[in-house]
Amino acid sequence: MKTLDKKTIEKGLKVLNTHDNGKLLTHLNSCVHCGLCAKSCIYYRAMPEARFIPATKVDLVASIYRRYSTTSGKIFPALTGARKLDDKTAGEMVDLLFGACTMCGRCTVHCSIGVDISYVVRKGREMLAEMNMIPETLQKTVDAALQTGNNMGISDTDFTETLEWLEEDLQFELDDENAKIPLNEKGKNILYTLNPREPKFFPLSISAMARVFYAAGESWTLSTKMYDVTNYAYYTGNMKEAAIIAQRLYDEMHNLEAEKCVLAECGHGSRAFRWEGPNYIQKEYPFDVITSVELMLQYLKDGRIKVDPQKNPDRITLHDPCNLVRSGGVLKQQREIMKLCTMDFVEMNPCGNDNLCCGGGGGQLAMSEYNERRMKIAELKAEQIKATGAKIVVTPCHNCVDQLLQINGAFKLGIQIKTVAEIVADAIVLNENKTS
Amino acid sequence: MPTLEIENNVFEVDGDGFLANPEIWNKDVARLIAKYDGIGEMSEKHWAIVNVIRKNYEEKGMAPMIRTICKETGVRLREIYELFPLGPARGACRVAGLPKPDGCV
Repeated sequence: MKTLDKKTIEKGLKVLNTHDNGKLLTHLNSCVHCGLCAKSCIYYRAMPEARFIPATKVDLVASIYRRYSTTSGKIFPALTGARKLDDKTAGEMVDLLFGACTMCGRCTVHCSIGVDISYVVRKGREMLAEMNMIPETLQKTVDAALQTGNNMGISDTDFTETLEWLEEDLQFELDDENAKIPLNEKGKNILYTLNPREPKFFPLSISAMARVFYAAGESWTLSTKMYDVTNYAYYTGNMKEAAIIAQRLYDEMHNLEAEKCVLAECGHGSRAFRWEGPNYIQKEYPFDVITSVELMLQYLKDGRIKVDPQKNPDRITLHDPCNLVRSGGVLKQQREIMKLCTMDFVEMNPCGNDNLCCGGGGGQLAMSEYNERRMKIAELKAEQIKATGAKIVVTPCHNCVDQLLQINGAFKLGIQIKTVAEIVADAIVLNENKTS
Repeated sequence: MPTLEIENNVFEVDGDGFLANPEIWNKDVARLIAKYDGIGEMSEKHWAIVNVIRKNYEEKGMAPMIRTICKETGVRLREIYELFPLGPARGACRVAGLPKPDGCV
């Protein structure tokens, strides 16, 4: 491993500057080491070693703060558990903050005194980003987004041809040549976004959403220039890059003069753009941002789409994406949709705000070096799913979908994994809607 | 470097089990990885998909779009997910000896 020079260390320490950041100061100084967070954490539960306890991760960052920013830590580092930011400490930070945390925030909710543990972990990641120590496997995805406009490096031609292909198929299935997947159209009500894995490998969810828009008679468009709902810089902690990516979607909303930005089913993407984006780019949005899950429920409530739950007869359960539910507030909408669109909906235990992460969050899916841990923590989710007896697991997050696909294979669950749009699209009754 | 052992053959792989050296790939390697993933016998359709992916990788350095796979093989979209239960990326691309694609896969 490379040796950290003084300048690099200073860059990392700058993130811990608490002069104008009271929140950071509070959360670095508040942990009372009660240990309640241990059992909240899927890493500790799957691998009960002290280093995986969330409080240990907080202390790793806080110990550096004490060493450089408190009098007692400067004079008596050993007595205060203060640590120097050196190669060894930075190496541990990479291993624990990138390699052993999905930033799911369950520990934060359980903390007895309200320490925002995942916030401290992110500050640690920001330090590592400043020190140029982001795992290469994770940074590659950000680089692809920065260089090509989407995180899978899909060319404009490939993207356009894929949408044309999907549109042809949609028209055939609906037997209506007016069924469209509009591209780069100005002045529409909605600019819809996608996770690049949809056009690249899993386009059924695009077709499903196009069917929902068709049934609702929505005025919408996609953009060739900026359709990527993801922002992997949220994971890496490089806030400058996070701002560049958020700014692009902001600009495209402006270019296409759309009223509303609708985010595809993507946990971290909706968190990054909807809730954190204005902070990244330091300005308020002059347009509305909502998730497709909320929009679909609105269609159902307003009677803009009609559904028949008997079209989804199998037992279905929901997996809650941490960034959309625990940290994003979209909790009830997908449940109401399931009740309207399916016959046999059951909850996992625990679920909702207390749900367990699938194990793929925090950028874990991209960092293959930590794959063994990722599949170990996944066992908890596999057991939860098994206990429901569900044949289909629905989740409004493409990142979770991929992790669940792997869980399905590794633990031989024999289930199907679908997005919310796929369930709604399967339940839609078109003729009734047309005559109403 | 992690390794993957299948029927006494040892391959250097990344943490996700994708070949570390895509150039060592051949049809026997494909058969072994497929077997490891629980795909019993590689059918004609399996091969058609794998060959299109491999060709695209050798020519363009990346996995093809799912549209290209469907168009060039004639295999229906939904059937691809049945043939490779781990999906086109972690399933088919891995059997075709590609490095892991970036993004949420």
